[in-house]
Amino acid sequence: MAESAVHIFGVRHHGPGSARSLVRALERLAPDLILVEGPPEADDLVAFAAREELAPPVALLIYDPEKPADAATYPFAVFSPEWQALQYGVKTGVSVRFMDLPQGIQMALATERAEAAAAAGDAGLEFPGLPQRDPLGWLAQAAGEPDGEQWWERMFEHRRDGADAFAAVLAAMGELRAAGVDWTRTADETRLAALREAHMRQTIRAAERAGRARIAVVCGAWHAPALATRPPAREDAALLKGLPKTKVAATWIPWTYGRLAFASGYGAGIHSPGWYEFLWQGRALAADRLATRWLAKVARLLRAEDYDASAGGVIEAVRLAESLAALRGRGLPGLPELNEATRGVLCGGDELPLGLIAERLIVAERLGTVPDDTPAVPLARDLAREQKRLRLKPELLPRDLDLDLRTENDLDRSRLLHRLRLLGIDWGERRPQPGAQKGTFHEFWQLAWEPEFAVAVIQAGVWGATLPLAATAKIRHAAAHADNLPALTALVDGTLLADLPAAAEVLLARLASVAAVAADVGLLMDALAPLANLLRYGNVRQSDATVVAGVVTGLVTRIVIGLPGACASLDDAAAGELFDRLLTTHAAVQLLQNPDHSEAWLAVLRQLADQAGLHGLVAGRACRLLLEARRVTPAEAAQRLAFALSVAHAPAQSAAWVEGWLRAGGLVLVHDDALWRVLDDWVTALPPDHFTTVLPLLRRTFETFAVGERRQLATRVAAAEGGRGVGAGRSAAPDEFDVARGDLALPLLAQILGLKLESTP
Amino acid sequence: MNHALRQHAEQQFAGELAALARNDSKPRPPNWLLSPWAVAAYLLGTTLADGTEITPKYIGDRRLIEIAIATLATDRALLLLGVPGTAKTWVAEHLAAAVSGDSTLLVKGTAGTSEDSLRYGWNYAELLAKGPSARALVPSPMMRAMQTGKIARVEELTRIPADVQDTLITLLSEKTLPVPELGEEVQAVRGFNVIATANNRDRGVNELSSALRRRFNTVVLPLPTQLEEEVRIVETRVGQLGRALELPAEAAPLEEIRRVVTVFRELRAGATEDGKTKLKSPTATLSTAEAISVVNQGLSLAVHFGDGIVRASEVAGGLLGAVVKDPVQDRVVWREYLETVVKERPGWKDLYRACRDAE
Repeated sequence: MAESAVHIFGVRHHGPGSARSLVRALERLAPDLILVEGPPEADDLVAFAAREELAPPVALLIYDPEKPADAATYPFAVFSPEWQALQYGVKTGVSVRFMDLPQGIQMALATERAEAAAAAGDAGLEFPGLPQRDPLGWLAQAAGEPDGEQWWERMFEHRRDGADAFAAVLAAMGELRAAGVDWTRTADETRLAALREAHMRQTIRAAERAGRARIAVVCGAWHAPALATRPPAREDAALLKGLPKTKVAATWIPWTYGRLAFASGYGAGIHSPGWYEFLWQGRALAADRLATRWLAKVARLLRAEDYDASAGGVIEAVRLAESLAALRGRGLPGLPELNEATRGVLCGGDELPLGLIAERLIVAERLGTVPDDTPAVPLARDLAREQKRLRLKPELLPRDLDLDLRTENDLDRSRLLHRLRLLGIDWGERRPQPGAQKGTFHEFWQLAWEPEFAVAVIQAGVWGATLPLAATAKIRHAAAHADNLPALTALVDGTLLADLPAAAEVLLARLASVAAVAADVGLLMDALAPLANLLRYGNVRQSDATVVAGVVTGLVTRIVIGLPGACASLDDAAAGELFDRLLTTHAAVQLLQNPDHSEAWLAVLRQLADQAGLHGLVAGRACRLLLEARRVTPAEAAQRLAFALSVAHAPAQSAAWVEGWLRAGGLVLVHDDALWRVLDDWVTALPPDHFTTVLPLLRRTFETFAVGERRQLATRVAAAEGGRGVGAGRSAAPDEFDVARGDLALPLLAQILGLKLESTP
Repeated sequence: MNHALRQHAEQQFAGELAALARNDSKPRPPNWLLSPWAVAAYLLGTTLADGTEITPKYIGDRRLIEIAIATLATDRALLLLGVPGTAKTWVAEHLAAAVSGDSTLLVKGTAGTSEDSLRYGWNYAELLAKGPSARALVPSPMMRAMQTGKIARVEELTRIPADVQDTLITLLSEKTLPVPELGEEVQAVRGFNVIATANNRDRGVNELSSALRRRFNTVVLPLPTQLEEEVRIVETRVGQLGRALELPAEAAPLEEIRRVVTVFRELRAGATEDGKTKLKSPTATLSTAEAISVVNQGLSLAVHFGDGIVRASEVAGGLLGAVVKDPVQDRVVWREYLETVVKERPGWKDLYRACRDAE
């Protein structure tokens, strides 16, 4: 097609080799129009590509202003051929236009499909379990390579020679298409692909008619043959006639390398953006120097992380990578060979540093930027709309808000604030309930809008187009990356308050798997209470409830098995912590009202009560909880108390036992004479020096009793005094009392009490 | 006819090696009997152009074998790491057989391995009678490998005392072995290389110095990835061992072996085979070799004291012993596993009860 005005460049989206070849081909061709596979709605945004503030990775976002949830993204990295085409255009002044089927039509078609599916009672799953078929897989298989991606990478991305690659791609894809290979999975997908290609052809024809002499067409490799040979225009026109269309808006948003891996408007995700950027930056280098440079980068990273990576090691790693490539019949080492050489030579077989390399070098996470004057992102619009609907104005000065969650409006406000918090936009801050208890229907917030939030909203736009979508995506990401229980339980609370069922589902599954390997029983106990609360009172959907119940069962089982071990050899501080956890866990188990759990829990409490050498605080409380649950008779409790207070125990240990047993609840002493007597006997029999040791402990214990209880106990002491005669404390006889010395204190006392002192005759 | 109890790899597979050499047209590194491609084919198995069937010697990740061979081809020393029972020695022996046609140049590492076994010793009668001479010198396998350009093997490298290990550093970096008593040196002929094996779990015994480690490329051999693969290995080995002890192998039903292997794999991987439940892993290695010994122990219990068929009660004791190496931590792990997995799994009630009884 040398004489034709149209030049087709079939590329791989985000392929650095394709980008390199494309730039070279464009320079040679000097086109007067460049058509790029992309949404025509974004044609006006091309000019932004000339701006320095628009730094990739960025994405074109096409969305429905009415329903921002319907949005498509077309990401660009510096090594994307499409980005390089834009750059070539804005630098040379050649006009660049997008030629794909308008996203407005694609969205309208998707809506139609969804409606049809809903009408047919379909669950709405778009691709029920069908794997995407990879057209490259066929070519790779023919070349004896297991993986299509790898094959493409080797054949085209690592190629350093001329522009003939495009002719080869065109021919190869043409063969595949002629052989009836198809990557689409459903009739809908097939139709969409046909429509898109028809529209691209129509755009090319229009450009030809407009008299352009050298048209460069940049499209996905697969489409190349379909654009090179164009059937009569009227077929395509008929195909495209009468399609529905939605009104959409477009803007640039910052993107991240991590999210390049996701499926997107191009349908192509990549997993090694950092490696591709490296290839792109090294495009001018001789091919055989790339391996050396990459491994030198790896070695530098390893050294920075305190791994031993010498220059000699780099040399050996390069040699190994090259001979591996030779053994596998490849010209140059690719990423797999480099990784294997890194592991074998630089890491001594260790898998751990490779994770670091993957994170820092192969993905090399980074966030792009967009100019301030790009059109507003849908998330900001969604937020503005919600603020208007819920009558919550962003104000700089802090103001307090009392939300009554029984009203729909306030409930939505609460959800909005919680969702923003999950996105890292702390517009509202939860406040404790002031003064009077108003029940659980109220939430108190303090609102203050900081100017930085505007930027935060734009950044959060990476996660999604509406608040619920964005918050859900972010929580799912956080859940996948959090690996400790407290972090996850903290997330659960916020997520449920923000009413994000899809995020909650993922979060709970993750919680279950992390809880399974958590070794710290204390953390398990901490996780149980909020989940039990949730199960009992929370607004959880049925499916989630089953998951939560499963997690809770796992937690209880593990706590019961691990608790005796966790209670061994505790110091006072650790025992205090465990004491609190014992109480919360006991309350949680009671809340669950599951006979199996209660039974297992009480059994472990009994085990604790019997465990030798246990800290008194814990043992005492275990005994007390058993008494309350009527698993221990008062008589047995008295026997246990007496045992704990026997002389063989150190007084401090006994006092701790008493504290554990009695803290925050002395009523049992008022009502049970036997227990009272055991305790009384122990106190009165203590030798003086031991008494002074345990006194502060006992005092601390008794201080936790309610005032009424203490009064009743005092009454009881008085009654006991009467019944049992002279106690140890009253043994000093009145006649030993030095009256004269006592008198000396009286004037001061009178002054303090404001009394008039009657002179004693 | 060779009556040796165990033949060397190059004797046992002489036919395959010869066939590979006949069909091998790719370039060979100096002093290699086969090209790297053919060595890979020998280890991983294939069918040659002339129809000769090459049996796979190593079942597992092809890439690992490729890295090992590429390492040898770059004349870097190769270190095979792995927990016990991951076929390190087996792979090393076959690599040496395929590359040099000789797997006998072997130094077995022990705490008592001396420098002599890595360098040379003396025939003391000769030495005392006539003084130092080439005739009085007794070369080590390492020295012979250097002289002939072959592969030397060092087994259990980390069991060798650290100062003796250091001898290897000069050998590997200078590729010469000085003999000061004779005023000579032995220069390694091209093709000489070293394959060392070491146990991952042994690191504490004699940690490799970083200087020595830098001389090696490391390949870590993993435990079998597939359940069926591991079941097959256990079944085969139990059969072989059973013959030696004159126990009927059929007394160990495949189902019971599968259960033992499943328990091992799940605890080792920290997840159930269906991937639905996460588990804690015990401190024990739980290698395939241990699974074999659990089944074997059950087998001899069943034959000598039971009704001749291995059941849950026969393997329970062995399982407990294999899993619970640390009496506190491992017991928690084991009990959690029993309560959350074994108890719930259909058809495993007998194993659950037997394991509870064994505790």
